[in-house]
Amino acid sequence: MTDVRAPEADPFESSAADQDDHAPGNTDRQAGSALGLAGWLRWAWRQLTSMRVALVLLFLLALGSVPGSMLPQESTNPAGVQQYYTSHPALAPLLNHLGLFNVFGAPWFAAIYLLLFASLVGCVVPRTFRLAGSARALPPRAPRHLTRLPRSATYSVALPPAQAVQVAANVLSGHGFRLRRSAERRPAEDGDLPDGPWVSAEKGYLREAGNLLFHLALLGVLVSVALGGLFGYKADRLLVQGSSFEDTQSALDEFYPGRFVTAADLGPFGITLDKFDASYITSGAQRGQPASFDAQVSYTAYPGGPTRTDNLEVNRPLSVDGAKVYLIGHGYAPVFKVTDAGGQVVYDQATPFISGTSGNFLSQGVVKVPDAQPEQLGFSGVFVPTAIEVNGVLQSAFPAPDNPVVSLIAYAGNLGLNSGVSQSVYQMDTAGMHQLTTAPQLLLKGQSLKLPGGQGTITFTGYVPWVSLAITHDPGQLPALICGIAALAGLLLSFMVRRRRVFVRARASGPASGVQSTVQVGGLTRTDASGGFEDEFASLAAELRSAHDQAAQRQHEGE
Amino acid sequence: MVKAPWLRARRRVVVLAAAVVAGALLAVVLLFVLPGGGSSNVTYLDSTDRAVLYTAGHRPLAPDFTGTTLTGSRFSFSSYRGRVVVVNFWGSWCDPCRAEAPALGVAAQQYRPSGVAFLGVDVRDTTASAEAFAHNFGITYPSVSDPSLLITQDFATAVPIAGTPVTLVVDRTGHIAGAVFGQASYAELNTILARVTGTGSSR
Repeated sequence: MTDVRAPEADPFESSAADQDDHAPGNTDRQAGSALGLAGWLRWAWRQLTSMRVALVLLFLLALGSVPGSMLPQESTNPAGVQQYYTSHPALAPLLNHLGLFNVFGAPWFAAIYLLLFASLVGCVVPRTFRLAGSARALPPRAPRHLTRLPRSATYSVALPPAQAVQVAANVLSGHGFRLRRSAERRPAEDGDLPDGPWVSAEKGYLREAGNLLFHLALLGVLVSVALGGLFGYKADRLLVQGSSFEDTQSALDEFYPGRFVTAADLGPFGITLDKFDASYITSGAQRGQPASFDAQVSYTAYPGGPTRTDNLEVNRPLSVDGAKVYLIGHGYAPVFKVTDAGGQVVYDQATPFISGTSGNFLSQGVVKVPDAQPEQLGFSGVFVPTAIEVNGVLQSAFPAPDNPVVSLIAYAGNLGLNSGVSQSVYQMDTAGMHQLTTAPQLLLKGQSLKLPGGQGTITFTGYVPWVSLAITHDPGQLPALICGIAALAGLLLSFMVRRRRVFVRARASGPASGVQSTVQVGGLTRTDASGGFEDEFASLAAELRSAHDQAAQRQHEGE
Repeated sequence: MVKAPWLRARRRVVVLAAAVVAGALLAVVLLFVLPGGGSSNVTYLDSTDRAVLYTAGHRPLAPDFTGTTLTGSRFSFSSYRGRVVVVNFWGSWCDPCRAEAPALGVAAQQYRPSGVAFLGVDVRDTTASAEAFAHNFGITYPSVSDPSLLITQDFATAVPIAGTPVTLVVDRTGHIAGAVFGQASYAELNTILARVTGTGSSR
């Protein structure tokens, strides 16, 4: 009969299939010229979705990112790229040709991550289908010889085979097993079921459900990351104490939008930096190291909305309007007032200076006064929060402004701004200018420098701190977190739950055929799962036996 | 080699999944490669897509706003209602603004008799620098201060303002009829203004 099959034909088929996919060496050697184009395509697809290729792609992705962090990138540091061109005139064009100055936008990089995405999706989607099928599958038919299974028990009971199997089915069903029964066609007639009726029971489908959850969640992570990349944005903004900005593209210093983000999707929140405090360790080996940063901001979630206040600290961002605002840096902005030859005030503002690699916030910057008459004025300056002189060189002894000093070199001439090409506000092109002062001029707060030739005056009127803020909006962040947790839960479930099968078969035996049965109980589980099945099987077999004995007893009393 | 039995049985599912994935990938690639679809409500004045005319009936409504001018007086945009207004977003720190300032000055002189009002919105700037700029370039029309870009943000919800400068031409009904994103040339301003004022004016 067809309902009898060797157990070896059904080695937990779904689990075996799991291992086939993404397995190293899962190469179809039949795919060759004989199979034609379709065969080649199928071969290529199977290669792409194999574990080996996925790992190679992942490695290539990591390798491809290396030049992105080693070399200056067009998108983040165009000035660095220009500098690289001047310092390596022979090498730079070659690197540029390979796209190494724009790694994350280069076609070869896109090829790697698209292939990796395809590989992951191509692996996960078919497995999801298979797991879904496996989670719904019925247990296999009972093997003919249950004593050949890893666990088995045999006993006699004074019940007809069909009734014995019914009793076993009730017991197993009560333990939460999923059942499959032999066809119950006239069980008393010989020849229909030569080996007697049977019941197959299987438990631990949660393992497959966990596996399914893991794979679906993995897809969810991929989709979430894509969501963040397409609909999120990152932006930077430098904000001087006392000033405000609205989250609109013109107000941002750097803006890296996702594919589907337009200027209209920004904001509409506004942030004002009310006060920034930094404190530093004043003694010991750690002297000069930052102790705390605190940026007091007031913000409105939308124009005209209520004003709220918050304190930004490092790694304590402000959440507003779906975006997160991080405090990522700070510095000093000396305030200068410049009058030109005609006595007109042509510049009066805080000018952010940037601290370089040298410590203690020795900061550099430029003051460009393009509307001074009769000539444009420019100043290249250094701000020193705690000034000391070491061998005639100005240095900063401490990052806090204990003895603030600026040092300026004045220029006059053509700043080269009117051509319409945007210049960095932190750099000055002195090619069209002449130096007005031969040596750097030191100014204390409140002091002025009179420019020679009656060209005007510059006054160092004070200083204010500035902060740099990073604004990020990533709609994929929360879904990615949820999917990540779900993936972990699914993985744990699939590790901790065992699939195990129990078969019961009853054969008519003894002189009074059909009344006495030999009951065989067999069980097996996956070997790679944790132990404990022996005990479970033993207690289950004992319970089956006592249930059978009780049933036989009742029947005997009833007769 | 004999293929695994599951492979044969599940091939249709695998091929189907592969087709779906390939289709999705193709869609993603096309999204990345193809340029954004242009709106039919917009006419580009040149190949650069910077200068645009909005088709009548599809013109974005200009937001109303109030502010303070560089000279310290209160200003309300609604006081210009019924006139064609050129709104120029600029800053003294902005290099292309310097380059376009003479063209704006010429256009302002030329269209004043037609009743066209010019208005500057001085973004992310200080009064001292902005006044020096206006003085230097002989700009006679008023400018409203917008240090934190509140006004700019209002307008950015109507038209895609991505930086400075931007020049908008608002028609008599208060709708934005034309725009130059980036440095405006006299020719671009003249073309838009001639259409919007209906003068067909040329030099």
